[in-house]
Amino acid sequence: MRPVAITGMGAVTACGVGVEALWTAARDGRSAVHDVSFPRIRQQQVKQAAPIAPEVYERLAAAAKPRFQDRTAIIGVAAAREAVAMAGLRPEDFGDRCGVVVGSGLGGAETIEQGYNRFIESPGARGDVMAIPKLMANSTASWIAMDFKATGPTLCLSTACSSATQSIGLAADLIRAGVVDRCIAGGSEALLVDCAFAAWEMLHVMTTSRCRPFSRERNGMVLGEGAGIVVLESMESARARGADVLAELVGYATTTDASDLLRPDPAGATSCIRKALESSGLSPSRIGYVNAHGTGTIANDLAETQALRAVFGDDFDGLAISSTKPIHGHALGAGGAIEFIITVEALRAQMAPPTIDFLGIDPKIDFEPVPNVARPFAGDAAMSNSFAFGGINASLVVALPRGEG
Amino acid sequence: MADRAALDEDLRRQLLAIVAEEGMVKDRSFDSDTRLDELGIESADFVMILMAVEEKFGVYVPVDEKLTEAKTVGELLAVVAGHIEDHRRQVSS
Repeated sequence: MRPVAITGMGAVTACGVGVEALWTAARDGRSAVHDVSFPRIRQQQVKQAAPIAPEVYERLAAAAKPRFQDRTAIIGVAAAREAVAMAGLRPEDFGDRCGVVVGSGLGGAETIEQGYNRFIESPGARGDVMAIPKLMANSTASWIAMDFKATGPTLCLSTACSSATQSIGLAADLIRAGVVDRCIAGGSEALLVDCAFAAWEMLHVMTTSRCRPFSRERNGMVLGEGAGIVVLESMESARARGADVLAELVGYATTTDASDLLRPDPAGATSCIRKALESSGLSPSRIGYVNAHGTGTIANDLAETQALRAVFGDDFDGLAISSTKPIHGHALGAGGAIEFIITVEALRAQMAPPTIDFLGIDPKIDFEPVPNVARPFAGDAAMSNSFAFGGINASLVVALPRGEG
Repeated sequence: MADRAALDEDLRRQLLAIVAEEGMVKDRSFDSDTRLDELGIESADFVMILMAVEEKFGVYVPVDEKLTEAKTVGELLAVVAGHIEDHRRQVSS
């Protein structure tokens, strides 16, 4: 595929506000996961998550419109502002040649929770009048469009853990198709509220110990929250305004298992990774680093390893692969964008962030994913994967800028 | 096999009832050697079974390697019973 320029990135995560806070935490293996308490859950079984620190959120909310914005939109807009500032976009760069593609798995979970609670406790009383515009899944995307007067297409993909990865891929497709010159793309998710956390508990996919992707003794994932936003532009537009190109998006694919709603099918992941690589025109040996979906569940990590091994073949053993989810938590509909940002930073630094809490090789999957400490790698391209409930797979390939050529 | 032998009859009966009920198994004539896929138990049914175990015994069973490898009703029961026994030991200590 024709490369698309990445000119700005922004993140709000449990690691703090900003790409720098996220990247340094990922690189240094500093986990933002800690004990959390949800008082309305009678018997809280899972005791850990990676929430945005309260003082950080309060600061963002003070600069936002909390009467009209759910937590999801507040952190999404903050991440978008960082990305747009980094890209150096001016007011004239928006308008109808700029689109917004920002996904979310659940939308305004906090508003939904508060609304139902209030309704059940006092059904006749006035609720949150702004509940609907706050909780709708496209709220973040629409607030970002309003914030910058981006009047091109606004889209919101809600495909669980693939939402943000597909959003970035679709934004690149829109640019390459000539529909827009630039796009603000990514995802936002904030569902660390009692009711949603209890629902996640019931699925029994979260660990009660530590999230240790690909490791022996792994037994589940850890939830996070956050927003990741990138600015994508056609190479021509980026050059025309003299923008710094952080990296180039050179490959994207998305496929569907169409087999089981929850259990991943290695064949689906394999076809996705293969097609993404093919679309980039790069040989497997060109990829230096893969930020894996790596949830830490038995099933995902097994399926993803089989898929990577199938596609990379002889190059698999030399590949630096890691999952950064134990650091920022699994941010679901934002996860793909947060991990894409880490992938770009890893590529620029030529440094693969570690898979922390790795105890040792699981003989069933038989490989070591950059264990516990960051490792330098050499390569001009990297990949980021997302595999969602619903059997939806999405992979992105980024490369270092190749200059004017 | 030691696990299965150690599984007391009362617990076994309760767990079999959970598998039948939550797995929505129509033919109740299955036993420990019956394969889970023969009973049509899929990923969603598995989650229902774990939820019922949590409600009845107060123990959270994450989907770990042993559970993933369980192919028969007996293997599933052994893993779940192991978690229940660990939990009971922890509570009593």
